[in-house]
Amino acid sequence: MQTKDINENIAWAKINEDVLRSMENPRMGYWVALAACVAMILCAVLAEIYQYQVGMGPSDLNWPHMWDLYIATFVFWIGMSHSGTLLSAILHIIQADWRKPIYRFAEAMTLFSLMTAGLFPIIHLGRVWNMYWVLPYVSDRGIWPNFRSPLVWDAFAITTYMTSSALFLFIGMIPDLAICRDNARGWRQKLYTVLSMGWQGDDRQWRHFRRLYLMMACFLIPLAVSVHSIVSADFAMSIMPGWHVTSFPPYFVAGALYSGCAAIITLFILLRYFFRFDEYMTIPIMEKTCKLTFAIAMVWTYLNLVEFAATWYGHDLVAKELLMQKFIGPYAPFFWAMLFLGSVLPFTFAFEKLRRHLPTMFVVSLFLNLGMWLERWMIVTPTLSLSHMPFAWDVMWPSMIQWAIVFGSFGWFGMLFLIFVKVFPAVSMYEVKEMVFHRRHYHNDELESKSHRREGDRQPADADPSPSREGA
Amino acid sequence: MSLKNILENWSHYRRAHEDGGHHEYEHMWGMAIDLNKCTGCNACSVACYAENNLPTVGKDRMRKGQGLHWLRMERYWDEPDLGGDEKEYQERGGSFLPMMCQQCNAATCEPVCPVAATYHTPDGLNAQVYNRCIGSRYCSNNCPYRLRYFNFYSYYEESWPEPLNMQLNPDLSVRDKGVMEKCTFCIQRIRTGKDAAQREGREVKDGDVVTACAQTCPTEAIVFGDLLDKDAQVTKLWKAQEVELGKTKQDKSNGELRGYRVLEGLNTDPCVMYMDRVREA
Amino acid sequence: MSGSDINRRDFLKFMGLGGVGAATLSGCDMPTTITLEEGKEKVVAYLAPEEYAIPGIGVTFASTCQQCPSGCGVHGRVREGRVLKLEGNPEALNGKGLCQMGQASLQGHYNPDRITQPMARKGGALMPVSWEDAWLLMKEKASGTAQGRSAWFTGTVSGHQSVLLAALNKAWGSKDHYVYEAINNAVGSAVNEAVLGDATPVYRFDKAKAVLSFGADFLGTWVSPVHFSREYGKFRSGDRGVLIQVEPKMTLTGGNADLWVAARPGTEGAVALGIANVLLSENQVDGKQLPQAALDVISQYSVSKVAEISGVPGDTLVRIAGYLKERSPSLVLSGESAHGHTNGYQNAMAAMMLNVLLGNIGQTIEASNSMVFDELKAKQGNSKAMLDFAAAAGAGEYDVVFFMGANPVYTAPAHLAMADKIAKVPFKVALSMFPDETTMSADLVLPLSSPYEEWATSVSPYQPKDAAISMSQPLMKPLSVETRSLGDILLSMLKYQGVKDYETFEDYYAYLRSALDSLPASVKAGKDSDAFWSAAVQKGFIKAPSKPGSLKVSLGELDQGGYQTNGDYPMNLVPSSNQSMYDGRNANLPWLQEAPDQITKIFWDSWVEVHPKTASKLGIKEGDFIRIESDQGVIETQAYIYKGVHVDTVAIPMGRGHEEYGRYAKGNGVNPLKILSPVVDEKSGELATHATRVRISKVGRSEELPRLGGSEVQVGRRLVSTVSADVFRRTEGA
Repeated sequence: MQTKDINENIAWAKINEDVLRSMENPRMGYWVALAACVAMILCAVLAEIYQYQVGMGPSDLNWPHMWDLYIATFVFWIGMSHSGTLLSAILHIIQADWRKPIYRFAEAMTLFSLMTAGLFPIIHLGRVWNMYWVLPYVSDRGIWPNFRSPLVWDAFAITTYMTSSALFLFIGMIPDLAICRDNARGWRQKLYTVLSMGWQGDDRQWRHFRRLYLMMACFLIPLAVSVHSIVSADFAMSIMPGWHVTSFPPYFVAGALYSGCAAIITLFILLRYFFRFDEYMTIPIMEKTCKLTFAIAMVWTYLNLVEFAATWYGHDLVAKELLMQKFIGPYAPFFWAMLFLGSVLPFTFAFEKLRRHLPTMFVVSLFLNLGMWLERWMIVTPTLSLSHMPFAWDVMWPSMIQWAIVFGSFGWFGMLFLIFVKVFPAVSMYEVKEMVFHRRHYHNDELESKSHRREGDRQPADADPSPSREGA
Repeated sequence: MSLKNILENWSHYRRAHEDGGHHEYEHMWGMAIDLNKCTGCNACSVACYAENNLPTVGKDRMRKGQGLHWLRMERYWDEPDLGGDEKEYQERGGSFLPMMCQQCNAATCEPVCPVAATYHTPDGLNAQVYNRCIGSRYCSNNCPYRLRYFNFYSYYEESWPEPLNMQLNPDLSVRDKGVMEKCTFCIQRIRTGKDAAQREGREVKDGDVVTACAQTCPTEAIVFGDLLDKDAQVTKLWKAQEVELGKTKQDKSNGELRGYRVLEGLNTDPCVMYMDRVREA
Repeated sequence: MSGSDINRRDFLKFMGLGGVGAATLSGCDMPTTITLEEGKEKVVAYLAPEEYAIPGIGVTFASTCQQCPSGCGVHGRVREGRVLKLEGNPEALNGKGLCQMGQASLQGHYNPDRITQPMARKGGALMPVSWEDAWLLMKEKASGTAQGRSAWFTGTVSGHQSVLLAALNKAWGSKDHYVYEAINNAVGSAVNEAVLGDATPVYRFDKAKAVLSFGADFLGTWVSPVHFSREYGKFRSGDRGVLIQVEPKMTLTGGNADLWVAARPGTEGAVALGIANVLLSENQVDGKQLPQAALDVISQYSVSKVAEISGVPGDTLVRIAGYLKERSPSLVLSGESAHGHTNGYQNAMAAMMLNVLLGNIGQTIEASNSMVFDELKAKQGNSKAMLDFAAAAGAGEYDVVFFMGANPVYTAPAHLAMADKIAKVPFKVALSMFPDETTMSADLVLPLSSPYEEWATSVSPYQPKDAAISMSQPLMKPLSVETRSLGDILLSMLKYQGVKDYETFEDYYAYLRSALDSLPASVKAGKDSDAFWSAAVQKGFIKAPSKPGSLKVSLGELDQGGYQTNGDYPMNLVPSSNQSMYDGRNANLPWLQEAPDQITKIFWDSWVEVHPKTASKLGIKEGDFIRIESDQGVIETQAYIYKGVHVDTVAIPMGRGHEEYGRYAKGNGVNPLKILSPVVDEKSGELATHATRVRISKVGRSEELPRLGGSEVQVGRRLVSTVSADVFRRTEGA
């Protein structure tokens, strides 16, 4: 059983080679995947063109369901964006070095899910062409957006977070871009020359780089937390039962981390399999990610229970009614599915066999994300379906237009990610080297073997130096 | 809004929404609706369609819930725990509730609009600026009364085939797709009334402005007027029922008085007072 | 003025015929007196501005609503040559209020499906023709008609059009003028006439302390609903009156009742007798007002017997009797669901008996103000006219028939085979605004102008205050130059016919001017011709002298006869009328199609109302398609389940299921009138609309009902809360 996060005997050159190889010569499968993503996007684009021309009607949104999948999926993608940058920053600050092989693609995931999420508030607008009115641009009419509206906060929060995440991703990538530059030809060389900003790897540069990177990490943690708190304000600031919930900000942040971690596991397994990153994305690292996911799942579950209890024992009869309707009403199957997927399914992580088994984890992580998507839908829709005015109660099911756009958003995300992995190093080469270096010099093998879990496990000394293929 | 101001007026900020700068209202248009007289005949609703250029959307869209009916006549049956279940028939008839925008003074729709397309006017009205609306539909979601309706389609061609379009009221616009709309208390009539009063060099007096629904109501169940005008019939009705603005719960000298505002416990501070339905037993 | 070519100058010329423009147009109560000449307005440049057409300022003109026979006065708001909105005429009997049908009548005026030119049948299809050709065709086919071989089939007509029509019929030697209304109070009128000597007495809701109504939907469709609604407002304030409604299906009035009682259809008379029995035996009401024969009949209707016949629990009867005794004076009414039976006349008579017993005659039922000008009075419609016409047309008695204001092909039950019978008439002329079923089966179609484009007078059938002649004036220039008013067409026909008295009039307007001019001086109140005319047009009506009426009381036979049941057809069918589609004439108005039904909240389609007990017995759920089968045919529609319909009854609203009638009406819903059984009220000969027996079964299809609203109860919120009448009387009672 592989126990080490990384093989400390791995050669520097091999790291470069492995990572750079992953960026070259896309195989047939890559093109098929890219084409599939583009096809998905086309579906969404066609649906959006139709909706743009006709109005919001074909989406089957109605009175009182003014929001539905668009906003639910928006929140979902915002949530996805959280694990990457936030986890990377936290783990960086607490010096958990196992983050190093996986944070790059996780941060890319953040950026791309933000780019996906940002589309939804635009798509869902009745008059898309006026979307820039939510921004405080200078207007000779002196008209400003309404700074009291959480939607305006959203616009600020998301753009800020997107910029910062992009910067964080980019800054962290500079030393690697220099490696790329040194190994590339043609347009890639030009691109990397510009992007690596004259990185030479001298001490001064490293010193500044470290300082900046740490500062960015410190800045990003509160920012990321605030972003999802603000997204939760879209609901929590309202007066509607089931939205007007005090615990929403932490609940949303927990949900965001949860779905983000699940997405990391999914992509982790995909990258490991397709790019043969077995030596970097090792099973122990995945185990750690799984454990982290499990912890967050439990926090999420706890916050769910808090919300239920607070509603149940509270005085808001309408909210109580809504809670009961979530349990037994027309949307109950989805609600129970969400609870099962979100709170019960993560217990698979409790079993070592399962959490080390890649196909299982792949499926589980997909289901966790489905559960988290359902969570967002179950936040948005039942409240609208059932509120203070019983005359306005209604059950609505989204139309194909909405589904097409939601479907397409996954294609959009996928396309961006696919392009990313072929243009930028999906594994941080310099940090993996740091990690390996660190392990070589500071890890006490003896201590490690003592603290190891089971009798009979292979000792580190006779660990198989060749990359593990188990489960792949 | 200085810190000092906030601290000194803390109870005010705790209690109410910021009121958009209109501390002194010129008018406070309000209604009193007597459910003892309302028969649920729906004339008000059709009058509203006629006055306010409301489109008809057809059966399928109406069934989908995409219709626009600024004034909707709600009908409820008596609840089972009031004997409805054991009894074989609906012995006490229906409960009819005409719901138009309640023109809340602490409107929940106002703060959430990202572009401030809905705001509070010095007339105490909850105005919707169609030109400014970008269709985020947040206001409708946050209206506990569900009184805001969205233009899911463009209707100007489908709903008013020639010559039906000649009936359109030129005093207000026909809304295009992607815009939120709602009852305005017939703001065009208010404007006409104010203009007329100004032309004659006098104050607006009770009866100068009547909304389409109040005017057509066959039983005169709807009374409309300025709550700041002490002589207005609507003010007298509010006073008689001991209903006041700015409260979440009315302290009444006589608990049997019928006046109430729908969902006033939510602190939306609506300007429409209803008076209980009356039944013999 | 999007796309319209209304020319203000023409409009004014039209309005101002006879040089009284200014006076005529000084209309009503809106700020109309400000003119440009006075210089008070800042005016946007406007080529050749017309007097009184001020850009941006609405002016109101009085006219009369023709959407149902009650004839409410309206004020039309006109701006830039277009009528935009109707309001009630505060001085008319409906006051400032107007019902939704009146509001929507504008959409009739502007309807995109209006007939805009004459049409004649050529080779099987109706083809547009010119008016010259239409008149030639009339001359060829109609002028030479033998005496008595022509007939008119119309809805309610009154005023000077009625005078012209009578003159035309006289010239043609035809007595046959069938006046038909599917929704009528003919049985009630017959009983009123027989008992009180006054077919349409005045009902004083404002004086009544209790109203017991056997199916009279006086807030919805009965006689004069808007006027009654106003009176209802008074009835409900102060010492608030009690409203008890006995009917098989909840009407709008039933929905507002303090006590809604579902009686087995046709047993309303028995219920009335049972209440009388309780009043006499338990409530110590003196029976001396009633003849002995009546008392004998009443004594046979003990509470237990009535409970068995009608399905109304005995204690409910006692409770109703208690209200009536306690709260005097009361008012007992009967309406179509009580009248539409083989014993309809007796039902109405039993209701009237209660009025006599309770001493309401003279108290809450007063003599009507009968106008002295008999020739102007409304010719009220009934359904016997349709049966008679069907028989006569079927027998081939007519060569020419004129249709106007009625749509018998749509409203006639299938057993009358109305379309076939009409087809037997060699030449059918329809005077119509819309391509309805009857119009589309005619040989010649003459396009009528809308009530808001023409001059006319009318007289409301129900005259509660003062007798009055209502004026209709054009609120705008006609939308189509080819349409003609009924008066103009009649006048032209009279001229063709060479009737001397009418040859001098250039048009109907000239005729009306002269006709009003010739009213007695007492009516004109000393005004000269022009001033009187202007005043009449401004006001919207002319007060006319009335004969003081008086009421006698002679109660007719009360015996109710047996109630049949039919094993094959266990249910009763109620083709309910509502204040929306009415008898089907409003099905082409999109506002009314989209306005949810007041009780069920269903729009744009038909439905069948089923009681939950019946539904659970048959496994019916809301939205299921139900097959309703009578001995005359089958219709299928969706079920709405609630407790506002009698267990043994299903109710389907009238007015939908058109095969013609324009884009909004065509193909929406079903027409319950089609499957009515051939039964009539034995005494009056009226069609017994509520006496059809049906059986129902599930079709097996289901669809979401087109219904507005989610929950049908308030789920504990204080949206509409209810207080008891005692509380109301304590706090607000007079």
